[in-house]
Amino acid sequence: MLLQVLTQLVVVVALMVGVSIALFVGRYRLRATRTEWRGRIRAAAPITAVLAIVLLFNSVARQVVPDLSWMIGWNLTWAIYDIEGQFILWLQDQATPWLTAYFSFIYIYGYVFLLVFPVVAYFALSNTRPLRQLLAAYTLNYTLGLVLYTLVIAYGPRNMMPELVEALLYDTYPQYQHLTRQVNRNTNVFPSLHTSLAVTVSVLAFRTRDVYPKWNVVAGFLGLSVAISTMYLGIHWAIDVVAGIALAWISVELAGILVGRWSVGEWVSDRVASLRNR
Amino acid sequence: MSDRAGVSTASDSSDGEPVNGGISRRAALSATAAGLTIPTSGCIRQIRSAINRDGVDPLSLTITTLPADGDRESIRLAREIAAALEAAGIDTAIEMRSNEEFLRSVLLNHDFDVYVGRHPGDPDPDFLYETLHSTYADESGWQNPFGFTNLLVDERLEEQRAAEGDERADAVESVLEALALEQPFVPICRPIEHRLARADRFDGWTDGHLSTRTGYLGLDTQREGSAEQLRTVYTDARPSQNLNPLNAEYRDRGTITDLLYDPLAADVFDAGAEGDLEPWLAEEWTFDGGTLAVELRPELTFHDGEELTADDVVFTYEFLADTARGDGSGAAPSPRYRGRVAAVEAVTRVDDTALEFEMATGEDAAERALTVPILPEHVWEGRSGEATVRGVRIAQGTTEALTTDNVPAVGSGPFQFADRTDREHLTLERFGDHVTLREDVDLPEPTVDELRVQIDPRSTSAIQLVEDDDADVTSTPLESYVVDDIDVEETDDLTLLESPTWSFYHLGFNTRKAPFGNPRFRQVVAELIDEAWLAEEVFHGYAEPIATPVTEEWTPDELAWDDGDPATAFLGADGEVDVDAAREAFEDAGFRYDGDGNLRVRHY
Repeated sequence: MLLQVLTQLVVVVALMVGVSIALFVGRYRLRATRTEWRGRIRAAAPITAVLAIVLLFNSVARQVVPDLSWMIGWNLTWAIYDIEGQFILWLQDQATPWLTAYFSFIYIYGYVFLLVFPVVAYFALSNTRPLRQLLAAYTLNYTLGLVLYTLVIAYGPRNMMPELVEALLYDTYPQYQHLTRQVNRNTNVFPSLHTSLAVTVSVLAFRTRDVYPKWNVVAGFLGLSVAISTMYLGIHWAIDVVAGIALAWISVELAGILVGRWSVGEWVSDRVASLRNR
Repeated sequence: MSDRAGVSTASDSSDGEPVNGGISRRAALSATAAGLTIPTSGCIRQIRSAINRDGVDPLSLTITTLPADGDRESIRLAREIAAALEAAGIDTAIEMRSNEEFLRSVLLNHDFDVYVGRHPGDPDPDFLYETLHSTYADESGWQNPFGFTNLLVDERLEEQRAAEGDERADAVESVLEALALEQPFVPICRPIEHRLARADRFDGWTDGHLSTRTGYLGLDTQREGSAEQLRTVYTDARPSQNLNPLNAEYRDRGTITDLLYDPLAADVFDAGAEGDLEPWLAEEWTFDGGTLAVELRPELTFHDGEELTADDVVFTYEFLADTARGDGSGAAPSPRYRGRVAAVEAVTRVDDTALEFEMATGEDAAERALTVPILPEHVWEGRSGEATVRGVRIAQGTTEALTTDNVPAVGSGPFQFADRTDREHLTLERFGDHVTLREDVDLPEPTVDELRVQIDPRSTSAIQLVEDDDADVTSTPLESYVVDDIDVEETDDLTLLESPTWSFYHLGFNTRKAPFGNPRFRQVVAELIDEAWLAEEVFHGYAEPIATPVTEEWTPDELAWDDGDPATAFLGADGEVDVDAAREAFEDAGFRYDGDGNLRVRHY
């Protein structure tokens, strides 16, 4: 079951990425990439390694985070519900089968595509800074997100109001449950990491709008769709989404500072150069 | 007398005269010393009397319960009850906790105001003894989580234990009558359980109740290859994490640990919850004048090949009563099976297969004591020490036996541990030497080589697994909202099983806290719960409203649900609380409201 869902995900996202490369990246940039890819990989290698380590650590840490959270015991569900319980109900009132199909698609496929495509798109640029900033922002999202998940226990709307907030995704497409439960725990809804990662891509797309003007529009639309989908599907509260947007902004800003300050590539070449000059 | 006079003069003086006006300190002192009542001392006394009263504050309470992923019906009940309490002027919040955290705070730490959840219940009303006897108010576990203490109820619970036959039915009735008045917890309803099973792979699904061990035994294989594996789906991940039969947080009804461990006698119930206690590890027993003589079946063994003898049985009963084995500064009883073990005064080994139980109860309650799991002494004797976590102080009486995950479990049950992955699966394999497989034993036996418990968190995806022939049965009952959507008519391959149960939903009070210790308060709360409406609304009609926590067989006519709650009738209609009637009921019970309609109570 899981394998089937995974295969489907890989095929669909690969198709979307393929089409997008043709639409947004263009032949010219691909040609340049063919000659310059070694240097670009070298430039992006350190932050990629850091991201890989953080993701690995994350997957291990997620096994123990729920236990830790319960020991800390900061349960915010009721506070959140008390503040904004009605908004999600209103949003779900707008449900139609088409919207449900659209947002379910966005939540699973649109989201993965949104995270994968910019890696390819920025890799196709001679300037590696956007790529490095993107990967650094991903890393920060996961790191800060994990800290918040550890501190805060919060259940999503579907757990609080199962009869009003239909768990649209899992009831309409139960097979996705097998996929999402691999990565998500039901107590980890604050902040919405779906939103923060999607918005991170949107913000960076806006900053690189001179290079990829059309992608900026698409990324903005998809980022917004992902944010809405998490609430529409009853998975996150509006507060989680707002926190997700804040996390995205912080991650992008921090990533900008970090990437500018420490360039491992330069540091290494400086060292090499100074050694040679000796 | 003089006090009162002082107060009245003080109130006169406070209108105009400055306090401590023109009277010298010495004069005041000498005046009090002389025992005279003068305006000043009276005034101060009045201030003292006004200030030193503890606040009567608006009541706010928290309902502890499970999220929809843990128990959809519990959170729905909790929210409906919260709405009813809010209507009656009580500020109500809800705290959701995961399965094991919920049980930990309710059963072990007693850290709750009220809770809503499912009680495992029991076919026999004797479970009320451990649930409510006041001597258990300070223990941890299913024994009296409410902290309920009532000597009259204690006495009736004891009478019920001692009595037999018709006399016992009367004694049970008097217990239930007392509980209907006292309402230490409010019984809400008894769900009608639904499970989806593959009829084309196995037959005999209705021979055993699927919440008990016999639901997984005696199944007839229908297809070639179906004998290789019985694939069950569990929506609760806990069996993949912990297999300790004594642990209260990881067990609901203990169905899985019952497959790993054998009792001396087992409840053999069919899907209609009809059945009886049958000899299991015991070949037979006789009860005579307070002594239960038990004869074990010959040549019993545990999964690891060690012999199961009368010594293990003696060990089990002593160990369950005190898992510290006299080593700690106090007894550390098991948080499960407490009442059943307490019925046993002493166990003596007569020979390798014969035992004598000296019982403190009548025959009916004595037989219930035979249903506890028999533990291998060679595994558990080393678990009586205090659990240790470096740098953390552990609560007294927390022995290793209560905290171990007990993986791999070594019992003598029809299945033995094979493999597990956290939140993925638990796989058991048939125990080839199990007693039920003997030719001379007429009990349902394990018919499959392997039993796989697949963890899948939602009813809808569990149903899909069965429909796609990736699983044979949804072992945990389906959530009631999906039942109407299941269509098994068009195919003979699937069957929808419907079965009653002895477990029930309830609202429990922490009577250790004010105002929940006040039975009048509890009665009014019970009157704010519309059980019949909740059964219809929350359970889509797949539940029976109840006024008393025992099975139908034991329910006296006066407490049978018959068009309304016979004990605490709902103050309102169709789930809607009549606010004026609710206020009046609280006021009649001695509580007060403030100008904003908030119920005010004294906090201590």
